[in-house]
Amino acid sequence: MARLSKPSFLPDPFLLCLIATVAGASFAPVRGAAISWVGAATDFAIALLFFLHGAKLSRAAVLAGAGNWRLHLYVLASTYMLFPAIGLSLVALLRGYGDGLLLTGLLYLSLLPSTVQSSIAFTAIAGGNVAAAVCSASLSNIVGIILTPLLVGLFMAVDGGGSGFSWHSVQAIALQLLVPFLAGHLLRPWIGAFIDRHKKLLMPVDRGSILLVVYTAFSAAVVGGIWSQVGIADLLLLLLLSLLMLIIVMGAILGLARLVGLPRADMIVLLFCGSKKSLVSGVPMAGALFPAAQVGVIILPLMIFHQIQLFLCAALAGRFARGGATLQRPALPRTGAEIEDAAQRRGLTIAEPCMAGVSANLALLDRHADTLFAAGKA
Amino acid sequence: MKQAVEIAAAVRSGKTSAMAVLEQCLAGLAAEGGRLVAVTRILADRARSEAAAVDAAIAAGHEAGPLAGVPYGVKDLFDVRGLPTTAGSSLYADAPPAQSDAEAICRLRAAGAVLVATLNMDEFAYGFATINARHGTTRNPHAPDRLAGGSSGGSAAVVAAGLLPFSLGSDTNGSIRVPASLTGIYGIKPSHGALPMGGVFPFADSFDDIGPFAVSVADMRSIWDVLAERQAAQDDPIRIARLGGRFRDNVDPDQIAAMDAIAPDAPLIELPDIARARSAAFLITAAEGGRLHREALTRDAMAFDPATRDRLIAGALLPDALYDAAQAFRAEYRQRIADIMADYDVLLAPATPCPAPLIADPQILIDGALSPARADLGIHSQPISFTGLPSLSVPLRRPGRLPLGLQLIGREGGEATLFRFAALLEDKGLTGITWPAGAYQGDA
Repeated sequence: MARLSKPSFLPDPFLLCLIATVAGASFAPVRGAAISWVGAATDFAIALLFFLHGAKLSRAAVLAGAGNWRLHLYVLASTYMLFPAIGLSLVALLRGYGDGLLLTGLLYLSLLPSTVQSSIAFTAIAGGNVAAAVCSASLSNIVGIILTPLLVGLFMAVDGGGSGFSWHSVQAIALQLLVPFLAGHLLRPWIGAFIDRHKKLLMPVDRGSILLVVYTAFSAAVVGGIWSQVGIADLLLLLLLSLLMLIIVMGAILGLARLVGLPRADMIVLLFCGSKKSLVSGVPMAGALFPAAQVGVIILPLMIFHQIQLFLCAALAGRFARGGATLQRPALPRTGAEIEDAAQRRGLTIAEPCMAGVSANLALLDRHADTLFAAGKA
Repeated sequence: MKQAVEIAAAVRSGKTSAMAVLEQCLAGLAAEGGRLVAVTRILADRARSEAAAVDAAIAAGHEAGPLAGVPYGVKDLFDVRGLPTTAGSSLYADAPPAQSDAEAICRLRAAGAVLVATLNMDEFAYGFATINARHGTTRNPHAPDRLAGGSSGGSAAVVAAGLLPFSLGSDTNGSIRVPASLTGIYGIKPSHGALPMGGVFPFADSFDDIGPFAVSVADMRSIWDVLAERQAAQDDPIRIARLGGRFRDNVDPDQIAAMDAIAPDAPLIELPDIARARSAAFLITAAEGGRLHREALTRDAMAFDPATRDRLIAGALLPDALYDAAQAFRAEYRQRIADIMADYDVLLAPATPCPAPLIADPQILIDGALSPARADLGIHSQPISFTGLPSLSVPLRRPGRLPLGLQLIGREGGEATLFRFAALLEDKGLTGITWPAGAYQGDA
């Protein structure tokens, strides 16, 4: 029987590839004349990556969940307001205690869009509103292509923490990311069917592009002396800060969901879409936004955060799924008195000739409710 | 009556006129329509005006449209300007007239088609039988003592009888595919939301769609292009699977044999949680239908068709938490099905569990027990509606026997592939319409 398989993140094969790539760049960084060739290949890979993102985006799927605008606003607020506020606060608190560029990386990750694939997968596993998750996560990603560079410009240029950021790179990002994205999406009527049909085949292109960017970034960072600059203590600090950031965001989301009375299915969407940061968007964007020698250090916090979020969300999604399976099955009115009572609460009066038919139909619906709630058995 | 594409070609080329086609069609409806209990209103004046406009356009050398002069009818739940939209109910017989045509009718008129009649249905589209308290029970043209299926039974019956070349119906849980199967014609439920719902009386928003009935794949594709306002494009090689599990229980052996003959090497796959999907669809439909009609039920419950009324009241009494749970399951389920569909273009499944039941004894066998046809003829179509995927009901070619259909289920937005595959089956003689004895033979 075909089923959606639960993603296994222990260990995440892609994480192993990332570590291998970082190790490869550490021992054999690209140097000399090869830099321009690899740089050109990286630019091409980034453009291809965003072209494919544009081509993969199904407007129909996004529109299917578009009606829940309040939920989408919450997700966007979490991604682009709550996260940056936490990022800025942490950087302000830790200035002088940690590596400046690593803190810049921490702030950078807080400005990134949400993930698409894993947000949707976790929402599905947890029994959340998948249609809304598709819309929310896609929206966050599209908005991020424009908003993240602007936020980087706003907070990092002002912050002036040695990020090397320049407004010129916002224009570069439009050319390198937005144009291929729009081109891919506009070509979707012609290539969309092919892309949808070959999603599995295209995944290596997707991931290969990221690995190439990471390799290029770390090569430049290694040549610039990253491993004399960043030590184990820095990595452990990043680990702790990532965890702290996630816990604060998730706690705030759960509090908000309770405060505004979000249904469980929507709360799950907010939790998983609102607490993610996209490695897929963040790595290429960093390549376009920051000087080559700094990209490796700046994306290091993102790579660590990425893995932490996968571990934590996988555990939470499993917990929600188990909780959902044991949800109480709502009882249907079956006796005459129960039917009268339920009808009265809805302003209906059950005339005598209707009672037998209504009762028989409720019995049928009760059997269907039994079947629906045979969760885990079916 | 000829195929829609043939009529349009003849009208456009001047071999005949839209008015001549219409008059022959009106004569056929007058002579044969009554015995089928399929037609609720003949729109002769409006139709003559539309036909005259088509002929005038052609005379002036203007483009008359791909469906020039093709007569058609609509299920009684489409807005028709100047008429009350009754949705098959006495309750709305005196409703204020619609101010404008439904969007689908506007598109067909712009393509030159001529609206001739409104057609019978189960009250508020709640049923698979077209047993209507106000208009009567629609008869199957292949066997007048049998049901035509529903809820778009009138729309299917007039096409199967040769009285109209095509018609429009609506499908919430199988209301196009069930009557298409039982009357032996083509009928499509599109990808959810793919065709315009403006001016269509709703039933359950989560699953409501409209779609055409036709006698050939060529007609179906031509009507689709007009309604969807886009060309059904060509596609890559077609990857097929046969649906197993619950879809091979409660079926006619001929349907199994046909699926195996069509794609002997195609994998036999099982969709997960089919029973839960159908139950969730049942609950959502009941809850949304009950919610939609709650105000009218409060006002005048006894004006409803008794069978529909009791179902709607029961739906209105469902706890909100149960509806929410069914919708949450649907959201997750659609994602699971989308993952499965990444590997296939067409899934084969039966359209109905059996041929048309007798009107005198409207029951069918489900899992060895007798069950009301009105509720359970959609056992194989309802879970597909739940997924939102498009599904084309194609008639098996079986002259001399009661009609039966198969569902060709496609990927979201994959209607073009369904039409292409259906055309292949039609060319091979595996599927296609068989006219009933006594079908209207007018030479339009």
